[in-house]
Amino acid sequence: MTMASPILELEGVSKNFGGLKVIDNLSFKVMPAERVALIGPNGAGKTTAFNLITDLYRVDSGRIVLDGRDITTVPSRKRIGLGIARSFQNIRLMPHLTVLENVMIGQSAHNASALAMFQPVNLFPGNRWRVHAREALGAAGLGQYALETTGALPYGIQKRIELVRALLSEPRILLLDEPAAGLNPSETEELRQQLNETSRRGVTLIVVEHDMHFIGAFCQRVVVLNFGCKIAECSPHEAQADPLVREAYLGSDEELGQTHAA
Amino acid sequence: MFGQQVVNGLMLGSVYALVAVAFTFTIGILNFLNFSIPGIFMVTGMATWAMLKAGVALPIVVVLGLALGAALSFLVERFIFRASTHSDHYVPLVGSMAFLILFENLVLIRWGSDLQRLELPFADTSMRIAGLVIGIPQVIGLLLAVGAVWALAAIMRRTRLGRGLRTIAENPETATLLGVRVGRVVPTVFIIGGVFTALAGLLFAVNYQQVSPFMGEEVALKGISAMVIGGMGNIWGAILGGLVIGVVETAAITWFGARAVDIGVYGLLLLILFFRPTGLLGGHAGERA
Amino acid sequence: MTGYLEGVFVLLAINIILAYGAFLPMAAGQLNLGVAGFVAMGAYIAAYLSNEYAWTPLAAALAASIATAAIAFVVAFPILRTRGIYLALATFALGQVVQATILNLNVVGGASGYPVSTFLGGGMVGAVALAVVIVVIALFHTRLGISLTAVSDDEIAADMMGLSVRWLQTVAFTLGSAVAALGGALYAHHFSFVEAQNFGIMASLYIVLYVLLGGTQTVWGPILGAAVFTLLPELLRGSASWRYVIFACLIIAVMVFRPQGVVTTGMLRRLLDVCRPRALPQGGK
Repeated sequence: MTMASPILELEGVSKNFGGLKVIDNLSFKVMPAERVALIGPNGAGKTTAFNLITDLYRVDSGRIVLDGRDITTVPSRKRIGLGIARSFQNIRLMPHLTVLENVMIGQSAHNASALAMFQPVNLFPGNRWRVHAREALGAAGLGQYALETTGALPYGIQKRIELVRALLSEPRILLLDEPAAGLNPSETEELRQQLNETSRRGVTLIVVEHDMHFIGAFCQRVVVLNFGCKIAECSPHEAQADPLVREAYLGSDEELGQTHAA
Repeated sequence: MFGQQVVNGLMLGSVYALVAVAFTFTIGILNFLNFSIPGIFMVTGMATWAMLKAGVALPIVVVLGLALGAALSFLVERFIFRASTHSDHYVPLVGSMAFLILFENLVLIRWGSDLQRLELPFADTSMRIAGLVIGIPQVIGLLLAVGAVWALAAIMRRTRLGRGLRTIAENPETATLLGVRVGRVVPTVFIIGGVFTALAGLLFAVNYQQVSPFMGEEVALKGISAMVIGGMGNIWGAILGGLVIGVVETAAITWFGARAVDIGVYGLLLLILFFRPTGLLGGHAGERA
Repeated sequence: MTGYLEGVFVLLAINIILAYGAFLPMAAGQLNLGVAGFVAMGAYIAAYLSNEYAWTPLAAALAASIATAAIAFVVAFPILRTRGIYLALATFALGQVVQATILNLNVVGGASGYPVSTFLGGGMVGAVALAVVIVVIALFHTRLGISLTAVSDDEIAADMMGLSVRWLQTVAFTLGSAVAALGGALYAHHFSFVEAQNFGIMASLYIVLYVLLGGTQTVWGPILGAAVFTLLPELLRGSASWRYVIFACLIIAVMVFRPQGVVTTGMLRRLLDVCRPRALPQGGK
């Protein structure tokens, strides 16, 4: 490990839902440009952890620190402006917007002021935000869908659009909730390349994923959760051998190391 | 004087209470604000007048009036609620507003916009108790209102239908899984709501002996205030809210004049929505995020 | 132009303006059942400025629109805290309070109505309506437009993308009220008489319904809704009540068969594809 300071740090974070501890005293650190996976059996609290980092739910106790700054009380809509972007487990694109408009929503992180609202993004084809969004779609190989309505597109395409939307907020940390779920092997490969490229540009990636092959090939480190607690923090390889991790998965109906089929 | 006002207020309040029960019942179980209720209220009132004018005996008028209310409400279920189960949340609300417009204008076409006076088939109907003038139809009406709500509460608590309704109110999807025949039970919600609304329309027509095509928007909409004051989804709350509005309105008319009353009634509704949206007796939490 | 045609034209122009007044909050996912209250505010404030301070009709209309926007902005904070049925009820109650208040204001004639001393010709009403249409349509081609749609599609995802949902909804509500008030002010000055009785819940229902008839997914829907509402009955030439009966049946039919409204984004896109067989080049290249 280098001496660099972590870009994201969870310190003793807990969350209850009606008396049920969903996240229990969770702490971990993520270094800049690192690729980390959050794994664990169903109901371990992985998505909840993402929801706490993005303030979809406010933590009950503990601290969330971004680049040395305590952001525990920063409201959800401001966190993306600080550089924390996410994708959702069940795609949440806006069904009544076109693909291009959807990814332009991704630019909101730095364009939500009253004045920015008057950017004529749909009035002139040459508007710089529109061109920028088009280029991003083109670079992701999605250019041909720009003017289609989002709801009608195939699942795999929608997943990639959601990724482009998140990237257009110029994140420093990208939280991906099951990015490979529901994708076929060739789509997964495309996704991996897209994420490799993102990582190369210095974006920190935190991934919730079931596909251990994907994690093994892509992530440097895994944080293993079970019943809201951290039970291991190691390399993907070590996780697969760790008896505690194996036991956690044995208790659930999933199998560790098996490709997660859609 | 004050006692007489309370009596008059309770009588008016029982009309509001019945309408409020109809509103609150559909909201409580289906989370559906049914704007056709004022229309059904008005149609029943006008039909009562027309039937009495044509010489139909009062008991038959009552039975036909209630049947009419139930039938119209069933129509709303078939055309609006059933068709829009998978639509945006405002679609059923909007559709029910179209029915209000439809009912009001059909009545305008048939009977014109005049205020109509009812001739009751019995002469003097008031009695005097301790210096208070109390109309016998009013007393019967108040008793009917309370009796109907009591019966409804009993249905909700004791019967299979009531269990089904409560399950749907909790969660429509699990209701199907638990074996509740949603397709059968939902229409009964509308029929019960329609009967209560019709009862209110009949009561209003007989008590005040005047009806108009605009009585829905002028009278029945205040049932919304009554419902919210009592707590949305709470049928006893609707009764309480109705009586409160009735008494306050009657008092306010003497003190501030008739036109100031609406500011009070709807101002109160607004304030309750802002500061205590669950109402006095507490209702379901509704859709507040 | 004959008097009859001009009358229809002015009604169409005003109905289009009112449609946009109701459409703006609806585009952000909020039903405003008190929109007629804001129309009434605009009509009475403008009439008062014309009568008492001899303002020109247009200046009075503009001032009334701004004043109403200020009022709407203030009430937006408690109103928009409510959601779903509660929001529908709160806006309904607000409209009723406004109407009842005006009926009790003797300074503007109370229940007997309020005559307006100055007159605004049909041409001017049409010109203002055109300006409103252009401004709103342009507005919906800015980032604001896509942000409002985003908010109505998915509030949580919009918030996560950095949009201030509350702020956008407040803006839509305030702008909508300003537009509705402008429509009311024009109405007052063209017909030279305002009566608060005409600005009750039924008026709100009609406005909301014809907007939904046109569809809230695109900025073009309200024009169609207002046109159908104004012109179809004129073509049928029945009594006023028959028109409303037909209108109500139309709404019910649309709700049953096409609940997303008549004009949808998908339909508009297909229509554009027909008009423009060559789509724009892909991927910016």
